[in-house]
Amino acid sequence: MPMKLAKFTFASLAILFLVAPLIAILPLAFTSSVILTYPIPSWSLRWFEELFTADAWRRAIINSLIVGSGTTLLATVLGTAASLGLRNRLLLFRGSVRTLFLLPMVVPAVVLGVGMQVLLARFGLTNSYAGVIIAHTVVAVPFVVVSVTGALAGIDERVELAAQSLGASPATVFCRVTLPLAMPGVLSGAVLAFATSLDEVVLTLFVAGPNQRTLARQMFSSIRENISPAIAAAAFLFIAATILVGLAVMVFRSMLAKRR
Amino acid sequence: MAEFIRFDRITKFYGPLCVVENLDLGIGKGEFVSLLGPSGSGKTTLLMMLAGFEQPTSGAILLDGTAINGVPTHKRDMGVVFQSYALFPHMSVGENIAFPLQMRGISKAEIAERVKRALDMVQLSAFADRRPSQLSGGQQQRVALARALVFEPRVVLMDEPLGALDKQLREQMQLDIRDLHRRLGLTIVFVTHDQSEALTMSDRVAVFNKGKIEQIGTPRQVYDEPATRFVAEFIGETNLVEGVVETVQGQEATVRLASGAHIVSALSGAVASGQPVYLSIRPERVDLSETRGDARNVLEMEVTDSVYQGDHLRVQLETAAHPLIAKLGRRSREFPPGTKVFAAFSAGDCRVIAP
Amino acid sequence: MSARSSRTGRSLLLVAPLLLFLIGFFVWPLFSMMSQAISDPAVLRLLPKTAEVIGDWDRKSPPSIAMQTALTDDLKAVGDDQALGDMVRRLNSARSGFRTLMSKTTSALQDTANPPADLVSIDKRWEKPEFWQAIADALSPLTDRNLLAAVDLGRNASGQIAHLPADQSVNRVILARTFWIAALVTFTCTCIGFPYAIIAASLSGWKRDLMLGAVLLPLWTSLLVRTAAWFILLQEQGLINDLLRGLGLIDAPLALIFNRTGVIIAMTHVLLPFMVLPIYSVLITIPENLMPAAASLGAPPWRAFLRVLLPLSLRGVASGGLLVFISAIGYYITPALIGGPGDQMISSIIAFYATGSANWGMAGALGMVLLVATLVLYSVYARFSVDEPGRR
Ligand SMILES: Nc1ncnc2c1ncn2[C@@H]1O[C@H](COP(=O)(O)OP(=O)(O)O)[C@@H](O)[C@H]1O
Ligand SMILES: [Mg+2]
Repeated sequence: MPMKLAKFTFASLAILFLVAPLIAILPLAFTSSVILTYPIPSWSLRWFEELFTADAWRRAIINSLIVGSGTTLLATVLGTAASLGLRNRLLLFRGSVRTLFLLPMVVPAVVLGVGMQVLLARFGLTNSYAGVIIAHTVVAVPFVVVSVTGALAGIDERVELAAQSLGASPATVFCRVTLPLAMPGVLSGAVLAFATSLDEVVLTLFVAGPNQRTLARQMFSSIRENISPAIAAAAFLFIAATILVGLAVMVFRSMLAKRR
Repeated sequence: MAEFIRFDRITKFYGPLCVVENLDLGIGKGEFVSLLGPSGSGKTTLLMMLAGFEQPTSGAILLDGTAINGVPTHKRDMGVVFQSYALFPHMSVGENIAFPLQMRGISKAEIAERVKRALDMVQLSAFADRRPSQLSGGQQQRVALARALVFEPRVVLMDEPLGALDKQLREQMQLDIRDLHRRLGLTIVFVTHDQSEALTMSDRVAVFNKGKIEQIGTPRQVYDEPATRFVAEFIGETNLVEGVVETVQGQEATVRLASGAHIVSALSGAVASGQPVYLSIRPERVDLSETRGDARNVLEMEVTDSVYQGDHLRVQLETAAHPLIAKLGRRSREFPPGTKVFAAFSAGDCRVIAP
Repeated sequence: MSARSSRTGRSLLLVAPLLLFLIGFFVWPLFSMMSQAISDPAVLRLLPKTAEVIGDWDRKSPPSIAMQTALTDDLKAVGDDQALGDMVRRLNSARSGFRTLMSKTTSALQDTANPPADLVSIDKRWEKPEFWQAIADALSPLTDRNLLAAVDLGRNASGQIAHLPADQSVNRVILARTFWIAALVTFTCTCIGFPYAIIAASLSGWKRDLMLGAVLLPLWTSLLVRTAAWFILLQEQGLINDLLRGLGLIDAPLALIFNRTGVIIAMTHVLLPFMVLPIYSVLITIPENLMPAAASLGAPPWRAFLRVLLPLSLRGVASGGLLVFISAIGYYITPALIGGPGDQMISSIIAFYATGSANWGMAGALGMVLLVATLVLYSVYARFSVDEPGRR
């Protein structure tokens, strides 16, 4: 019994540690005060208003959407194609290629950032949307590869063989069987790519100019320079989006599970 | 036989679900008792309470006269063989068997000696350094057995230990375990849902149903003298025929069937005249012939089907009132469908069972 | 056969775009960063003519006329005083005496009224091969200076590797601090994550889902949001100090932010999921009845833990620990926002060299150190997780 109590206490405290900070920040988004402390004097939506009207924040949100969409598109196309190619077991250096595809997740962002800045400067791509999208795609693409490869690994190859035996050409098999079965993986990969881009700060610091400040980058400097409840409002939006994204991914996963 | 283990009015609830209900059971020293019942009937739960993994909701478990309810598992000194063997995958076979001895602080030299003996006993001496994953199912099962016996536990508990083996190996292991039981004088509580396994191995069989013991007795008793309909149906195959008691004379009763026929049958428990009952007639105890003969119970029937099954001939019979199955020996003649026959059996070969 | 090769061709075509993209925008950047670390074309840029002729020199005989004229021409052409100063500093560190020699020479060359006949006529030292050797060495576009400096080493006057003076030795301190903070975070993550995973794996139904959800929610939440949350919580007027004061546990607010405590707390929170999930995924593969088996064989709970559960879950702990450690050594955002000046890790220093002082050589060299450390640890990690049995 005392063991059980100890376990319960430990688990509760750990869950509190994990979740409480995320919850504690939420009400501060609705404060009317200019400082980020409890108790909250009165409620208002002024910081959300600030977020959508103040120039710096509004631009940052728009930039995040531009860069995020570009990254999602590029990473999903490149990652999905590559995952499909990697299915072929006869491919030379298949393992090394796969490792290379996953490595951007591992390499410290600052290291990659320094290299990116040096290289993009050479091509004149710093301070451009293209440069930021490229940088974000590099770190987002592993998520697409992992997700799509996982979905493809779950496809029973006999289903494709069956389709072939029923008279479908390879292209038809791909469009009517493989792609639909892999779609949940592709979609959750795309969602993860967008989320990665949305949250990316370090590479953005190195390759983006003032005109490509993303929301995350704006939050970073706002915490660093003059913290205001606008941060809490932005965090509120992020957490709400996270929960939506989490639900979306879960739905995709369960679609995938049902297919099996 | 001196009583060694006693379950005294044991009840176990999982939440609102009553898994074991007010159960009494005594097990003698050196006895081999099987807990037999369908899956979900509470056998494992009872075993787990004996091993100390679960606590009874109420009631007491006594070992050698002392209550062991609060004693933690590791101090109970009971060897448990699990269905999936529960061998430690990161230890070699030898280390697995040495584990309980190490826990008891036995000297290294003695451990080596006893591990060796245990391995000899299960004929695995050559495999001491292998990992469990490198052994076949039957070998793993023998390692589990050796591990549970090596520390000479007071009781050995086995939870469907042979369930994962194929038929041939299972039958071999049944004989091996029975042999070990006799040689070492072990007290064994053996859980199984396989009735032939229980009949083969045990001194006594406790038949479980829905958390209760329906009947406990020797294999012969539970087979030949089923006390309840459940036992009659669960152990072996039987014909259940409905009827009404007409008269009771000592250990026998006369039962009138729906067809009007009268059957004289042995009793399993008390019944009163006028009571609706079942008659349980084992198919292999039924004789078929074309003449009436002089058996006490004779039913006039028609063959509807007959199937040759290698070691016996299975004949399906029908009257207007009820069907009957007969299993005939290898040397029996054929009974083509449509044949009119007389089915005969003695009073001792059928039982009156209260519904 | 042809069907098979056409299939391989198709696979190649599918893989190629991403492969080329990553070679171009991932591998190449890393290489250009590393080449920044080892290249130093400053002297070469100033003395192009000298570089052309000095290649024919045998490094022993006195300088030829051609070498002297080339150097004279190059020196006359130098317009950038800053670059000249850098070059002189570098030459002087290779060969003392260069500073005076160069200032004497340049002022003599500027005297257009009576131009010197050759360099030797300005200063006798130009006859000595040693000085020309220093120039020849400095002309090489490769240098190990940055790499050595990254670990607080440098070449002394005689060209041997030696420790830099204490006032220039900051990098080792920062490297040690980086590994120390990462180790601390790994330790706290293990202390919380291991029992957490054990408890989660021992539960079932909604309780298990709750514990896993509590790990996944932070994992999926923006890193910046989490850091902002801790920033707000840890402030002097933050919720934690308020709470502790409200409970009467402290009188004056604790300093929780802009110091090591804050960094460890926030980084533990951020990295805890990376510890819990690998351990959990190992734990759920351990058959449920092993611990009961150990108990039935006479093992008290703690011995059963040490002999059975711990060895079997060690692989998960190791891979979780490596994952946390690898992530921690490369961390930038959390220390940058929550830490004080004494808590900056190697990433911050790299960022400082790169963006703050445009010292690409040093940024590249430190980046290389971090990259190598990360890749070595990652290869160990990959080995661990590859031979996971039961992994499909
Ligand atoms: N830990 C548990 N929690 C809840 N119900 C349980 C638990 N263990 C067993 N049960 C339930 O108790 C009943 C008896 O289980 P068990 O003793 O394992 O049966 P048997 O071994 O005879 O197949 C089953 O209905 C089972 O679902
Ligand atoms: Mg069971």
